[in-house]
Amino acid sequence: MQQKIVEFTNLLRKAGVRVSVAEALDAFMALDELSLDDRELFKDAMRTTMVKRSDDIPTYDRLFDVFWSGFHDLLRAQLAQAVSGLGGDFDLDELLERLREVLENMDVDLSDLAQSLLGMDANRIEQLIRQAGEAAGVEGIQNMLQIGFFSRRMLEQMNFEGAAGELRELLEQLREEGFPEERLQQLAQLLRAMQDALRRAVRGFTELELDQQNHDYLERFRRESLAEKSFYNLTEEDIRKMREVVERLAQKLKAVVSMRRRRQRKGKFDLKQTMRRNLGHGGLPFELVFRQRKREKPKLMILCDISSSVSNVCRFMLQFTYSLQTAFTKIRSFVFVAELGEVTSLFRDNDVYNAIDQAMDGGDVINPYTRSNFGMAFFTFWRDYLAAVDHRTTVVVIGDARNNYNDPRAWCLREVQKKARNVIWINPESPGAWGFGDSVMDKYLPYCDLAEECRNLKQLSRMVDRIVL
Amino acid sequence: MFDTVDEVQKRLLDQSYICNKNIATVVFLASKLHKPVLVEGPAGVGKTELGRVVARALGLSMIRLQCYEGLDESKALYEWEYSKQLLYTQMLRDKIGEVIEGTTSLKEAAERIASQDDVFFSERFIVPRPLLKAITSDSPVLLLIDEVDKSDPEFEAFLLEVLSDYTVSIPEIGTIHAKHLPLVFLTSNDAREMTDALKRRCLHLYIDFPTEEEELSILNLKVPGMDERLAREVVSLIQNVRKLDLKKTPSISETLDWARALIALNADRLEPELVEATMSVILKHQGDIRKAQAELNQLLMQKTAEARAQAPQAVDPSPGGAKKSVLH
Ligand SMILES: Nc1ncnc2c1ncn2[C@@H]1O[C@H](COP(=O)(O)OP(=O)(O)OP(=O)(O)O)[C@@H](O)[C@H]1O
Ligand SMILES: [Mg+2]
Repeated sequence: MQQKIVEFTNLLRKAGVRVSVAEALDAFMALDELSLDDRELFKDAMRTTMVKRSDDIPTYDRLFDVFWSGFHDLLRAQLAQAVSGLGGDFDLDELLERLREVLENMDVDLSDLAQSLLGMDANRIEQLIRQAGEAAGVEGIQNMLQIGFFSRRMLEQMNFEGAAGELRELLEQLREEGFPEERLQQLAQLLRAMQDALRRAVRGFTELELDQQNHDYLERFRRESLAEKSFYNLTEEDIRKMREVVERLAQKLKAVVSMRRRRQRKGKFDLKQTMRRNLGHGGLPFELVFRQRKREKPKLMILCDISSSVSNVCRFMLQFTYSLQTAFTKIRSFVFVAELGEVTSLFRDNDVYNAIDQAMDGGDVINPYTRSNFGMAFFTFWRDYLAAVDHRTTVVVIGDARNNYNDPRAWCLREVQKKARNVIWINPESPGAWGFGDSVMDKYLPYCDLAEECRNLKQLSRMVDRIVL
Repeated sequence: MFDTVDEVQKRLLDQSYICNKNIATVVFLASKLHKPVLVEGPAGVGKTELGRVVARALGLSMIRLQCYEGLDESKALYEWEYSKQLLYTQMLRDKIGEVIEGTTSLKEAAERIASQDDVFFSERFIVPRPLLKAITSDSPVLLLIDEVDKSDPEFEAFLLEVLSDYTVSIPEIGTIHAKHLPLVFLTSNDAREMTDALKRRCLHLYIDFPTEEEELSILNLKVPGMDERLAREVVSLIQNVRKLDLKKTPSISETLDWARALIALNADRLEPELVEATMSVILKHQGDIRKAQAELNQLLMQKTAEARAQAPQAVDPSPGGAKKSVLH
């Protein structure tokens, strides 16, 4: 049992659930306190000691079923089926009773497997199959085509043919001992059914093992690569799953930001104020006063190019921004393709995901079905919103700067930069492509305090970190 | 302490708390293994209440530490009572004069005073806060650290130290060991993820919204005397509302509040107008209400149709017929 729990712990780890040695020990201690017959208790006890992130619970549940219930149930179902297939006039108890009587007076030496088949001992059979699985190296299975191969190898490991031979011999011996022919036929039928059940169970075991391997792989893939997957080839499914990842990253950032702020928050002792406040106590400093340093949160204006090539970046950036709302004094968001319009109010009236969806459709303020024109968008921003930009404002532009050979009007961005605290550009293209073809990134670059490539979530979250700094 | 998981369930039920097997298992293990429990889950699913009822079931007194942003050691553990110290120095001015009598330099005087300062840094001048209270308590207690996710990461690090050995060292006084290991429950709403270090020390419990069955039991328990059919309707409607994508999903408290409101209004069936009029009890945001409205009307209509199909004679087909029955 211990060995199996260790195996299961490793499986959890492979699937990306962090389980420390101390926690695995806790699991053992917990199991000591409970009766192991109750599968539900067993499952809960292991979960509460080893799985501490609610995100990991679905993974745990699935793996638990695959690992513990999966084969356990499958084997018992097969055995039950073998018995029920024997037909109505088959008195199993009677047969086994007779058999036991006869065997008591005979000198037979059977292998473990033959014995457990004869006694229909599910627990023992399960153990033997698991051992054979280990000996055959089934955990190395990689695809469906290998199921037959590994099943055969397991049967060899448990010496299935040997056990079948022993049982045939036993039938002969029984005949010689004068065991009634009718019962002998029944017994032969039962043993055949049991052997078939065993074969099917072994195959099922191999299939489940393959499931587990695939599962590991999928989970790992989901966790590790989603953060590094390029924004350019996301499926709908990816986008949905990435919401969670963004949320997690945002929460992490939030914790970091609050820590930074706290460090700044502790004020200095203010002697003057202390004296003044305590005048009533004859100048005795009963109450101490500390000067609170004023903390400056940035104001954020975020300009999103929603033409399809970069809309995913905008989507996640907006989610980041609004998850981190408390890190800013004010957030105003704009969308553009050629026209530019403000969508801030969408985020007031809707939940974030809805607001983002609407914003990506132009939010009823611009026509999204045009060709990108950064020059025109910046001109509009300069004309209508420059007054709102001040020395505490961080302006973030998200776009690939592919301007369809229109006039870049870089001077608009220059004017914005003059008034803003800083201008930050997030570009999903790599710097090598900036300024080539219809990219006018090189024209805008002089007016950015920071411009970087963001092709995946990891890069994006690093960028957000620098913005909230 | 508890002897079995079933006993936990039973004894919490005695305290009017419905708990499923999973919750009971974790509570059982916490009491057996002396490990803190980190309880996570959405707002209003009974995290705080769980701590409270476990304390009552075990006859422990409960000490609660409510966390918030900016909470620090001085508010959680202990604080020197500065003004009391000052008051004493003022009142003992003459005595202090005696102590420093005969000294010739400031330095010498300061040293004399320093040799006596344990008078001013003794337990007399300490204001104990919840954590210290829990550790120094003469009888075993349940320590409820509520909404720990609202505290800052530094505080979490500090908490970790306290929870790992249940001792507190006060430099001026020495190390204080717990007389009894407190049973510790921490609750979190997931405002931020707690660190792995903290989680490793704790058993983990995730409480989700209750199933329809569980919620009905809670309702029967907390709002006794409610018409069985109405209770069923209320719960099934709430369960459906929870499936919507809302800003604030209604919790168990909202279910209970709503049930009480309906009773106060003498309702015996959920009619669309009634639901509309009382919707603000379960939903707090205008946007949510709008969203739910459409969904609910459809649901109620469907329900009514089903009821009609099942028992055509029982329902008065004339408009407002069902309403009249309230008056009977
Ligand atoms: N299982 C339950 N049995 C009986 N009553 C319950 C149960 N769960 C919740 N309640 C009731 O629901 C209300 C809300 O519970 P509680 O305040 O403990 O929620 P919470 O999870 O701590 O919420 P928050 O995250 O907002 O602090 C309480 O009035 C409590 O009595
Ligand atoms: Mg609470």
